Amino acid sequence: MTELLKLTEVSVYAGDVCLLEPISLTLAQGRPITILGQTGAGKSLLAQAVMGLLPDSLRVEGDIQIFGRAMTLAERQKLWGTELVMLPQEPWNALDPLMKASSQISDVYRYVHNKDRSEASTLAQKDLEYVGLADSGNKRPDELSGGMAQRLAIASVTAAGAPLILADEPTKGLDSTRRQDIVNLLQERSAQGSLLTITHDVAIARQLGGDILVIKSGRLIEQGEAEKVLNQPQHPYTQALINAELPPQSKTETSESDKDVLIDIRDLMIERGGKNLFPPVSFSVKQGEITWLIGESGRGKSSLGDALLGLVPTKSGTVTRVVPATQQATPQNSQSYRWLKLYQDPPSAFTDSVSLQVLLNDLVTLHNIDPSRIPPLMTKLGLKEALLTRNCNNVSGGELQRFAILRALLLNPVFLFADEPTSRLDPITAQEVMALLRYVAKETNCAILLVSHDVNVVGGNYDQVVVL
Amino acid sequence: MMNSMTLTKSQKIGGILLLILLSFAISGDLFSSYSISQQDLNAILEPPNGEHWLGTDHFGRSMLARMAHAIGVSFVLGLFCVITAATIGTFLGVWAAWGSKRLDNIMGILVNILLALPGLVIVLLLAAIVPGSFLMLYFAISLVQWVEYFRVVRAITQTVIQSPALQSSQIMGFGRWYQFKRHIWPSIAPAVFTLAAFGCANAILTMASLGFIYVGIQPPLAELGLMTVELFPFYSEAPWLLVQPLLVMALMVLGFHLLAGKQK
Amino acid sequence: MKDILLKRLLQLLAVVWGVGTLTFILMRALPGDMAYRIAASRYGHDNVDAQAATLVREELGLDANPFLLYINWLFDLLQFKLGDSLVSGTPVIDSVQHMLGYSVLLAVTGLFISILIAIPLGLLSAWKGNPIDNAVMAFSSVVRAMPVFVIGVIFLMLFALHWNWFPVAGFGTPAHLVLPALTLALSLAAVSNRVVKSSAQRVFKSSFYTFAQVKGLSKWRTFHRHGIRNIALPVVAFFGIQLISMIEGIVMIESLFSWPGIGHGLAHAIFARDIPVIQGAALIMGVLFVLLNTLIDLLCYWIDPRAGDVKGERA
Repeated sequence: MTELLKLTEVSVYAGDVCLLEPISLTLAQGRPITILGQTGAGKSLLAQAVMGLLPDSLRVEGDIQIFGRAMTLAERQKLWGTELVMLPQEPWNALDPLMKASSQISDVYRYVHNKDRSEASTLAQKDLEYVGLADSGNKRPDELSGGMAQRLAIASVTAAGAPLILADEPTKGLDSTRRQDIVNLLQERSAQGSLLTITHDVAIARQLGGDILVIKSGRLIEQGEAEKVLNQPQHPYTQALINAELPPQSKTETSESDKDVLIDIRDLMIERGGKNLFPPVSFSVKQGEITWLIGESGRGKSSLGDALLGLVPTKSGTVTRVVPATQQATPQNSQSYRWLKLYQDPPSAFTDSVSLQVLLNDLVTLHNIDPSRIPPLMTKLGLKEALLTRNCNNVSGGELQRFAILRALLLNPVFLFADEPTSRLDPITAQEVMALLRYVAKETNCAILLVSHDVNVVGGNYDQVVVL
Repeated sequence: MMNSMTLTKSQKIGGILLLILLSFAISGDLFSSYSISQQDLNAILEPPNGEHWLGTDHFGRSMLARMAHAIGVSFVLGLFCVITAATIGTFLGVWAAWGSKRLDNIMGILVNILLALPGLVIVLLLAAIVPGSFLMLYFAISLVQWVEYFRVVRAITQTVIQSPALQSSQIMGFGRWYQFKRHIWPSIAPAVFTLAAFGCANAILTMASLGFIYVGIQPPLAELGLMTVELFPFYSEAPWLLVQPLLVMALMVLGFHLLAGKQK
Repeated sequence: MKDILLKRLLQLLAVVWGVGTLTFILMRALPGDMAYRIAASRYGHDNVDAQAATLVREELGLDANPFLLYINWLFDLLQFKLGDSLVSGTPVIDSVQHMLGYSVLLAVTGLFISILIAIPLGLLSAWKGNPIDNAVMAFSSVVRAMPVFVIGVIFLMLFALHWNWFPVAGFGTPAHLVLPALTLALSLAAVSNRVVKSSAQRVFKSSFYTFAQVKGLSKWRTFHRHGIRNIALPVVAFFGIQLISMIEGIVMIESLFSWPGIGHGLAHAIFARDIPVIQGAALIMGVLFVLLNTLIDLLCYWIDPRAGDVKGERA
């Protein structure tokens, strides 16, 4: 077995801060390695360090040997294409936006292998056929789907025939059916050499086989043969990763509770750009419950929530707001300001032109809210008084999301659409926010529609699941 | 808004430069004992001296008084044009993006028509109708300039009204004025300010350009472009005279450019 | 694509209408007796009398219904009947054609030199970064602060009057073209070099540029295959914006150097109140402006055929 890549205690620093703790591995011909970990765990830096693509502000320590010898940056850059390549994370950004697909491949044959024009384009056409893009040679990247772009990127980057392939999140942003194609393609293309893959997707690690390294917060926590690590994970983190992979069990768990129905949705369809986003759905949202909406990205989960708020027009079907019998005494129930939304990216949901205190005062003035309600709620939400003097760019995402919940609570919400409220938060804060949502639903009898892809965070905090 | 309005170092330098020029114009107008048209044919093309701090021109007129007046005229025109163009352009820009689709379409056509001719040509033609009129210059330059504010403000407003932040305020029941005050205005204010600084410089330049080809402010009034042509024939006898309007023009434009801050 | 051409066609009509209306108002609004003025400018102040004025009035139909006159006026314009100069009596179309040749010569030369200055400087700034970038940017800021005629005056004083390298004004020899063209070029390049720089910086930093090298292309090949076209896109689009500065610059520069182009003709005609020439010159400038804009639209479309802008999709 030939040794293609050997890393000894390789780490990455920004100044004195360690972004990636020392990692050692040996990549041999025919035996792929997969590095597994959550996004933002510093693992992407490793591939860049091997390539010699780290930004100037970062520093690599440790020993990187390629084909059995240590190399300078310039020497490594000479290997690009013919000996060593890295797949891009975002294929759309990695392809020349103005160049048609076939040229992006044939260029490699023309200028790296010095073939003449016609031979290069014949070879490129063959590659396109191989990755299932035979008819797309004349298209520009903006005319390709994410999966097609990724296949084009793989075809063009492997055209020069490098045996050593680094793949950094090769399936990011692709849906599961496309993932399979990409993994197969990667395996075929690396058959003559070897493959180092970096991913957060356990399914990919499983398919690729070979060895697995699990990284958490830039630190190696577990490594071994793929089969062994995935079937008998030792570290709790690995176990959590593997559990997170499992989809929620049931199709639609309708809640059998006796809570009052708030919104009744019948055969609802929404279209965008002339296409139906999902087949007709019917379900009801009940007071004091959390309805968890799941589905692949791009299926229109956000649009559905927005439609319930009346922000997006529906194509067909009905959305009926049921005025709860128990609360009919207060006519304010139907007031639209009690139908609220929590946003995915907290800073983008606030204006940075004034402090949070001003925003809060604005709300108190507008709706004649009793100001004495604020301090106890702030304590409950874990918000400090001092926070209010800052504007939204100077508090953390978690604090801001809790502030958003505070504003919602002050309006006595009837319905709250929480659109990925935890996806930009760190896991611990995400858990806290989730617990708060549970609390809100329970205490205020508010109905919550939750969109979240984060199985670990949602945990058991839902009453019914709707799959789009 | 407070933090977006704090000035950078180069913006401060630009501001100070303009303040110096402005105070020169005001004090020159107030304290000079000569008028801009008072001739003294016995003292023509004099270098700077105790009596005439900046010398005298080819008719023996005080350069100090004339420069102060010319700078003052430039500032007044620049400010008038900017205030008018910015107000109209911003108002229509917000309205077109946020209001009715119909208005947006009509404005689109109107802007298209205005952009069909280079600004200077429009100003030249209008200035030709009423020669030497300050009011006509003001009208023509404002007419040309509001389009820029309109386009920029409209584009920014369009992104703001689709932002989660504004949507969130809307859901919570805040009215239109509030949405404008808290969301739209803070987003467009920096751009409007930058455009205003550039617009001021452009208005001043346009007036000077017209003066330079004799179709702007007419003699015997003092205006930077006009003074440049008037003094040009005497460049070898009295170079210090020609330098004055040229230098001041460059400093004014530089001042506004610096004040504008980051370029887009 | 169709939209672009339609928009430009509308602009073309707007030019004719705008110029026609403004010059019509101009003619009606001039102080004093129109016919008398025209007669005076034709025959000289000493030879003019009431009879000559009446003749002129009849000849030009100045007493007709103003609205009818206006419609006629626009109709003539649509057929490019521009009339004769009030001052020289020669057909406007001839003198405008003559002037156009000179203006185009100046514009093309100026633009060409500005490209020769701006592109290498912009690429150099983007490639080498500081301190070269800072120095170039500081220099261009200073140049940008100067109105184009101030640059012209400085050139004139230094190269024509002080050192006598080039003629002061006029036309006829290639040497006459040097200073006007350089003035135009410098004022244009001081702005466009910044656009070249930021466009190049964006491309050099983009991941597709890195990825092309990862694919195995050499630095030069990457620049050749992926750099030039992507950098050119915003630069060409910017030339469209710069057309305005170019035409405005030409008006000023021609007047300064007595270069017998459209801008000089227009300024001169406005000064002399020669309305048919004003009309002809403004019309040609406007038409040229719209046509060049259309050309740039097409060029941009050719470089980047992506229809419209790609709208961000929401999950």
